Amino acid sequence: MNYLSKDIRTIHNAILDGKVTPLDLVIEAISLAKKDNNNAFEYICEKEAIQKAKSLDKNKISKLLYGIPVVIKDNYATKDIPTTASSNILNGYVPVFSSEVVTRLENEGAIVIGKSTMDELAMGGTGTNGHLGITYNPWDKSHTHIIGGSSSGSAASVSAGIVPFSIGSDTGDSVRKPASYAGLVGLKPTWGRISRYGLFPFACSLDHVAYFTRNVFDSACILNVLAGRDDKDFSSSFKEVEDYTKQLDNPLLGKKIAVIKEINDSVSSQTIKEQFNKTVAFLRDNGAVVDEISIDQKLLRAIYSTYIIIASAEATSNYASLDGIKFGNRIDGNSYEEVVKKTRTAGFSAYAKRRFVIGSLSLLKENQNELFLRAQKCRRLIVNAFNKVFEKYDAIYAPASPTVAPLIKTTKVQIDNDSLIADNYMAFANLGGFPSITIPIGFCDGLPFGGNLTAKPFDESNLLNIANELEKKTGLANIVAGK
Amino acid sequence: MELEAIIGLEIHVQLKTKSKMFSSALVSFGCPPNTNVDLSDMAFPGSLPTVNKKAVIYAIQMANALHMQIDDTLIFERKNYFYSDLPKGYQLTQHYRPIGKNGYVEIEEDGKIKRIGILQLHIEEDACKQMHLKNKSLLDFNRAGIPLLEIVSLPEINSGREAAKYVEEIRSIVTYLNISDGKMEEGSLRVDINVSVKEKGSLGYGTKVEIKNLNSISNIQKAIDYEINRQQKIILSNEKVKKETRRYNEKQKKTELMRIKLDSVDYKYFTDPNIVPIKLSEDFIKSAIDSSPELAKQKLERYLSYGVSNNDARQLLADKDISNYFETGMKKCSYPKEFAKWINQEVLSYLNKYKISILDFNVSPSQLVELINLIKNNAISNKQAKQVFDKMVEANKDAKEIIDGMGLTQESDETELTKIIDEILDKNSQAITDYQNGRDKAIRYLIGEVMKVTRGKANPSLTNKLIKERIERR
Repeated sequence: MNYLSKDIRTIHNAILDGKVTPLDLVIEAISLAKKDNNNAFEYICEKEAIQKAKSLDKNKISKLLYGIPVVIKDNYATKDIPTTASSNILNGYVPVFSSEVVTRLENEGAIVIGKSTMDELAMGGTGTNGHLGITYNPWDKSHTHIIGGSSSGSAASVSAGIVPFSIGSDTGDSVRKPASYAGLVGLKPTWGRISRYGLFPFACSLDHVAYFTRNVFDSACILNVLAGRDDKDFSSSFKEVEDYTKQLDNPLLGKKIAVIKEINDSVSSQTIKEQFNKTVAFLRDNGAVVDEISIDQKLLRAIYSTYIIIASAEATSNYASLDGIKFGNRIDGNSYEEVVKKTRTAGFSAYAKRRFVIGSLSLLKENQNELFLRAQKCRRLIVNAFNKVFEKYDAIYAPASPTVAPLIKTTKVQIDNDSLIADNYMAFANLGGFPSITIPIGFCDGLPFGGNLTAKPFDESNLLNIANELEKKTGLANIVAGK
Repeated sequence: MELEAIIGLEIHVQLKTKSKMFSSALVSFGCPPNTNVDLSDMAFPGSLPTVNKKAVIYAIQMANALHMQIDDTLIFERKNYFYSDLPKGYQLTQHYRPIGKNGYVEIEEDGKIKRIGILQLHIEEDACKQMHLKNKSLLDFNRAGIPLLEIVSLPEINSGREAAKYVEEIRSIVTYLNISDGKMEEGSLRVDINVSVKEKGSLGYGTKVEIKNLNSISNIQKAIDYEINRQQKIILSNEKVKKETRRYNEKQKKTELMRIKLDSVDYKYFTDPNIVPIKLSEDFIKSAIDSSPELAKQKLERYLSYGVSNNDARQLLADKDISNYFETGMKKCSYPKEFAKWINQEVLSYLNKYKISILDFNVSPSQLVELINLIKNNAISNKQAKQVFDKMVEANKDAKEIIDGMGLTQESDETELTKIIDEILDKNSQAITDYQNGRDKAIRYLIGEVMKVTRGKANPSLTNKLIKERIERR
């Protein structure tokens, strides 16, 4: 029996009942990973994972994640396991330490079976821009549709049923958007809720540890493990960690939910619009108050450019360490300037360089006021507008993408000026650090799409509660591509 | 045309905290290269900075000593540039919100006090140490991340001498606060100088020339004086001073060109997103200030109140280790004035003669205090004390022990001395007559006779007093 396409609780019970062992699970996951034809893996940890499965501490068997295989996005440092962030500049880099997230998962008994492909250095939202090429969407056997990114391989490995959950990272919508295209639950908790220690920084003020599961309950369970203060990350919160499964089944009666007219209006797919409205009706039927409200279009349109400027500015500084002197595949030269230039020219893709140029440009003295600082002010205005909504509402609910996964051939890697509000609004949750979750709400032409719920900072319990009640109505928990 | 020089100084002080500014690696000197390095010192991807609280306390103490406004929010910026000694590709520093603003120090020249304004004090991190060999460069990350304080003066200094006094004062403050070794020769205190010359009284500034690589305070003075002279000559011959960075050549005693300054580098400063702004509570700032060690200035007042002479007090304070020696001794000493004098005369001349530090001096403060006490209690004479001191240094023994061994203890027993004096007076009636006729010499002769009998052990002043008394009684 294939357990890996089940939810975590079912697998856990099977382990407790002796029906399956961690080693069985790991061997199966690795064999599936090897057969994967979606280009989901940077590295399969065959030896390491089998070794871990054999040496698991049996006293930990009662822990939910004991023996559960997991895939980690390749921008998390994993000790003794190559970590490239899907960039040529980091080819062959083997970290000497593990990220806090990986450490916490391993302490609970989870077993890392692979590192997943991504858009280079987490920049990009298509899954087409990693050094190993395009990552495909398991729901589309013809390999013509994207899976989205940047956490593309992590999304593919869960939706293909290789592992029951995977770790990604979310700086703009890099988990929540692919979750929509892959039919998964993607949660990005509050900024500071999970330690970023060991996550390769792309844009620290926007970067979030985030992850994929196939149902909301599993999502709450993983948060129980990952949330909490870590002294190694100065920005991690001291706020008490709750049991996030406790309030999952609370009734929706009296919950106040806002849907935003301007986002809905810009959704292009009629099917998505209709299905979204049906789910709104579910919420209302279960006693939630759902109001349609308006947010200034100008602010909503500004989300993307604000995000791009801040993210690129921070990225250009964060990746300055990859200079061929300490890190990065060095290409030699006659001076350190030459080493830096040659190494970086060869190591980064054109798309990454483009982002660095934008970032650098916006930080230059003569531009900083007009670009970087204006973006910071804009960030404040956008966050204020959403904070205002959260004064009255428990959550904002909107389609997680305006369409199902787009075709690869129509996908632009370039940075785009006239994109849809509905395609880019989710970055508001990164600008404000709000907890935000995507769950599947329907299908169109065989491809899944999701809805997104966002709440005020540290209101994860409430957020997961609403998502869980919604999931009960959609019946789309635990869907796996090709099953 | 009358010209004047305008000088501004940037001083970097390495803090002697246990660990680095943003990591837990140890700050320790003289270790093998690359042994005190943490992940973030080497910019391992995914490593994150944490803030060293002790360094913040030191910065507050320094800001307070420089009479500055102290910012209640701690924020760090990234200074972005590529350089081989810079691990992260940026340096964490405080660009927009320095922890200290608008302060000053006072320097004294020819009895006049001059106030030198200080624009700001900020916290930052040191870079790697580089060693350039023939065809390769080596990097030592032990230095990367060591906390630095940068102190930026206002351009209110007008001569090499003033600059030297200013640096001397900053050095004194950091060493007395015990926040830095303050050693220029070892790089724990580094000085960059901006010198420009303009027509006296004119608005604006002349072209700034930067001088780097100065390894002593006396070189600062020499380099500035040379540079002022150089620039004056250029201006007076109607040429233009070039914007450049120069270094001081110690052998030739002149500044020489390092590089021409092109447009200044754009460091693309922005606030570090990993270190969320830290609110410094009033209590935190106050307790940092309250726990500040005493500065030289405050110590001076205290020493003067003990009755130590102004010159002696200043001389003790010129070296923190010597003032520490004095203070340790003072715990048991009732004669501060004499103790200070002894240190400044006998001890310093010994240290200078053998070129050793007081830390390596083998007579402890309490041993020296014991010697002073013996003098003051008339157990030995000053002259004897000097012999005893020499033996103490040589043999590393207590004064008492040496005095006993040398048979030097003074005869201070009045009854015993009186007996001896009476016997001598009986034999020397001529001397008594001479004394009564006003001849002082006679007393000295009589003291000499007493000394002969006692083999020099008689307490001279007591003997003097007793001889006079005994003659009166006759």
